[in-house]
Amino acid sequence: MRHSRIGSWLAIAIGTIYFLVPLLCTFEFSLRMRRGEYSFDAYRIVLSDPQFQATFLYSTALALATILVGVLLVVPTAYWIQLRLRRLRPVVEFITLLPLVIPAIVLVFGYLRIYNSSSLLPFTASEAATNLLLTFGYVTLALPYMYRAVDTGLRSIDVRTLTEAAESLGAHWPTILLKVILPNVRVAVLSGAFLTFAIVIGEFTMASLLDRPAFGPYLQLMGANRAYEPSALAIIAFLVTWASMGLMQLLGRRPGDGR
Amino acid sequence: MMSATDLAVGQPPSRRTRLDGRSLAWLGVAPFFLFALLFLILPTGFLVVGGFQDAQGHFTLANIGKLFQPSIRSAYWISIEVSAASAVGGAAIGFFIAYAGVIGGLPRWIRPTLITFCGVASNFAGLPLAFAFLATLGRTGLVTALLIRYFDFNIYSTGFNLLSFWGLAITYLYFQIPLMVLILAPALDGLKREWREASAILGASGLQYWRYVALPVLWPSLLGTTLLLFANAFGAIATAYGLTGSSLNIITIELYAQIRGDVLHDQNLGYALALGMIVITGFSNAAYIWLRGRSERWLR
Amino acid sequence: MKKSAWLQMASGSAMAVLASAGIASAQSLDALVAAAKGEGQLTVIALPHDWCGYGALIDDFKRKYGLKVNELNPDAGSGDEIEAIKANKGNKGPQAPDVIDVGLSFGPSAKKEELLLPYKVATWSSIPDSQKDADGYWYGDYYGVLAFEVNADIVKKTPADWGDLLSADYKNMVALAGDPRVANQAIQGVFAAGLSASKGDVAKAGDAGLKFFADLNKAGNFVPVIGKAAPLAQGATPIIIRWDYNALADRDTLKGNPKVAVVVPKSGVVAGVYVQAISAFAPHPNAAKLWMEYLYSDEGQIGWLKGYCHPIRFQDLVSSKKVPADVLAKLPSADAYAQAVFPTLDQQSQAKGVISTQWDAVVGANVK
Repeated sequence: MRHSRIGSWLAIAIGTIYFLVPLLCTFEFSLRMRRGEYSFDAYRIVLSDPQFQATFLYSTALALATILVGVLLVVPTAYWIQLRLRRLRPVVEFITLLPLVIPAIVLVFGYLRIYNSSSLLPFTASEAATNLLLTFGYVTLALPYMYRAVDTGLRSIDVRTLTEAAESLGAHWPTILLKVILPNVRVAVLSGAFLTFAIVIGEFTMASLLDRPAFGPYLQLMGANRAYEPSALAIIAFLVTWASMGLMQLLGRRPGDGR
Repeated sequence: MMSATDLAVGQPPSRRTRLDGRSLAWLGVAPFFLFALLFLILPTGFLVVGGFQDAQGHFTLANIGKLFQPSIRSAYWISIEVSAASAVGGAAIGFFIAYAGVIGGLPRWIRPTLITFCGVASNFAGLPLAFAFLATLGRTGLVTALLIRYFDFNIYSTGFNLLSFWGLAITYLYFQIPLMVLILAPALDGLKREWREASAILGASGLQYWRYVALPVLWPSLLGTTLLLFANAFGAIATAYGLTGSSLNIITIELYAQIRGDVLHDQNLGYALALGMIVITGFSNAAYIWLRGRSERWLR
Repeated sequence: MKKSAWLQMASGSAMAVLASAGIASAQSLDALVAAAKGEGQLTVIALPHDWCGYGALIDDFKRKYGLKVNELNPDAGSGDEIEAIKANKGNKGPQAPDVIDVGLSFGPSAKKEELLLPYKVATWSSIPDSQKDADGYWYGDYYGVLAFEVNADIVKKTPADWGDLLSADYKNMVALAGDPRVANQAIQGVFAAGLSASKGDVAKAGDAGLKFFADLNKAGNFVPVIGKAAPLAQGATPIIIRWDYNALADRDTLKGNPKVAVVVPKSGVVAGVYVQAISAFAPHPNAAKLWMEYLYSDEGQIGWLKGYCHPIRFQDLVSSKKVPADVLAKLPSADAYAQAVFPTLDQQSQAKGVISTQWDAVVGANVK
C-alpha cells in the first residue's frame, strides 16, 4: 500500500530549513573575520592549533569508553526490568532522569569530595584513575538518553517470547543477552551511542574541574573572549562530530543490512 | 508466567537447575544500582543534606521555606512552562520528522543522514546555539536583514521578539526535536509492515490504522520520550543564559546565581532550589506513569 | 620615659619583630624557588587567558621557573572558586586549586570559613592598606573601572556618560556583561549607573541604578543578552557596560573588525578590586607563594598593566617611574580614573542586596 510521499518530503524540507539556517548564519558570521570581505581566517587560526587534534582524540577515546560502559550497564538493566522487575521501572526511570536536573558542577564537586586522593576510593590519585572517574561521570550524564533509547528499543521487540524461545533452546542468560537481545536492539543502542558521543565531545564542566585535557575545555579556552573563532569552532566541531557519527553508523551496520 | 521449573520439564537431563528467575533478575540489575549509588546518589547526597542546612551547618527548614517566595515560585513556573512547551512541540515535530525519515518511503540515504545529523544536533546547545539564533533571527540577524532587504518585511514589526519566552522555546526545539527523532526511530522500526497490510486488508483507513494499531503501540514510548524532553529542557541553563540572559527568570539561572555566581552566594539556598527541581521531576515522572497506566488500560 | 610608655614601646617593637618573623613573612626567594620546583606544579582556577593578560603571565611564569601549571575551569566565577577549595579539602591531586582570584567580598568571607593560608609578599608594604587583609589572608591584585565598550561601526555617536545611554539613538543597543544576580561585573554596572544618577550619593546608588535600568528598558534601549565580543561584533549588543580592561582586550582581539571605542563615563566611575589568596589546603603551597611573589613583583604587576588592568601597586610603580611609557600610552588617560570611586565592602553588600532582589521586577519579562 503506497501512501503519498509529499507529506514526508514536506516534513523533511521544513526540518532541513529549521536546522540548517542557523548553522548557515553561524558559518556566515565566522567568515567575517577579515574586515570587509569573506575569508577563512578564523578557520585557519583554529585548525593550526596542535591542541585541537590532541584534545579531540582524547575526548573521542573517552566517548567510546563511555558508550561501552553505558551499554554494558543499561542493556541488561533495561532487559531485566522489562522482563521480571516491572515494579522497579518507575524507580529506575526516576533515577535515570536525575542527571538532567542535577547540575554537572554539583556532581563533579561531589566526586571530588568523595573520591579525592585521601578517601577510600582515591580516583584522583593518578591520571588513569581520574580518566576512569571522568568516564563514569560521563556515563552518568548520558544515562537518561541511553536508558530511554534502549528502553524504547526493547519495547518494540517481544522480549518475553524471545527469551522463552532462547531458553527453550537451552541458552543461559549471557547468551540470551549477547546473541538474542543485543542484536535486536542494535538500532536503539546506536541511537544511544550517538547521543552519548555528542555529550562527551562537548562536555566541559567535569573535564575542566577534574583537570583532564578534553575537547570541551579546549573549545572554552579558545573561544572564550573571541568573536569569530567560536563560530568557526562550532561549525568545525559540528562537522567533525557528524563525520565521526557517520563512521560509527557505517561500522555498526550489519553486512547485507538494507536499512 | 512460566517458571524455570516448567521449562525444565521435558528438557534433556544435562540441563542443570537454574537460579530462580527473580533472584537472577535482581542480580542483573545490581550493577546499575551500585553504579547509580556511587556516581549519582552519593555525590548528590551533599546537595540533599545541604538544602536542609544553614551556612554554619545546623539543620534548618528556612531554605525550603524560601522556595515559596513569589520570585522563586514564578521562576519554577516559567521553567515548567518553557520546558513543557518545548517538550510537546519537540515531541510532535520530532514524531513527524521521524515518521517521514523511517516510514515515509523516502530514498534510502535520508535515514542515516537524518539520524547522524540528529545525533550531533541533540547536543548543539548552550552559548553556540544561542548565538546561532541571534545571528539568524536577532534584530541584526542575517535572516532578519535579508527579509527586510528583499521582501521589505521586518519580522519584528509583527511583535515577534527572539528574546522572549517563545523565542527561547523555539531555540530549545533545536535540541529537543533531534532527541525525539533519535529515540523514536527504533520504535517506529518496530511497527511491523504486516500490521499495516493486515489492517488495510481488513478495511481500515490510514487514520484508523494509526488510532487503533500504531499509536497504542507507540504511546508509552511517546509519553516516556516527552517526559525526557521535559526534564532535558528543565535542567538546561546555558542556552537560556546566553539568549534571554537576565530578562527571563528561570529556575536554573537562580540556581546558578546561588551556587556559582559572584554576587549572591547562598550555597544552601542553591541546594534547596536543586531539591525543588528534583521534586518537580519526580512529580512529572509520577504524572507520566499515571498517564501511561491510564492509557494502557484504555488500550487493552 | 614613664614606665607605661616604655612598656608600650617595648611591646610595640616586640610585636613588630614577631610579625616580621612570623609565617606570613616572605622567605628568601631562592629557597622558595627551590621548594616550588620540588613541588613541580601549580594549580590555578578561573583565569581566562584574555583577562588582564593572564595568558602571557602564566606562560612567562612557566618559562621562568619551569613549573607545570594546571588551569582549571577558566569560566569559573568567584563562587565556583570557593566551592572548589571546599570540595578538594582532602585532595592532593591536580584538581585542588592552590591560588584563587576572587571578588573583594569573597576575601573576608573565605577567611572566616578558614579556607585561606596567610602570606605576605616581599612588596607587601606597597599595597594600600584598604585593599588588603591586615593578617595577610587576602590582598588586592588589580582593579579597573566600568566603561562603555562601543562597536563604532554600528554606533555612530559614541556615548560619553550614563545619561546619554537613555537617548533614542541607542535603541536596542545597551547590554550588561552578565546577569546582575550572577556576575559581579554586571551588578557593579548597575551600581555605577546609579552612582551617576544619584550624583555621587553611594547610599542611594543601588535604587537609582535600578531606576536607571528600568527607564533604559522602557525606552527600549536595553538588550538582555549577555554582552561579549561575539554579539558585539555581530551587532546584537553594540554597547556593552563592562570593565575597561575587558573592553580594551576586546579592542585588541578584534583588530579593528569592528572598530571598538572604549569610553570611561564622565560621572559614576566605579572601580572594582579583585583579590588574590592562597588556599589553606593547597597541595603545592610553595609554588603558590612563588606565584604570588611573581605577581606582586614589578614584572608581574606590569604584566597585568599590559592586560589593561591597573595593578594594585600602580601608584607606587608610577611614582618610582618603573612603568614603560609605551604601556602607559595604551591606557585611557589618567584623568578618567582620577574620580574613580572604590566602594567599601559594606557599601557593596548594601547595593548588592537591593539590586539582586529587585532586578527581576525591573527588567524581567513579567514587566512587559
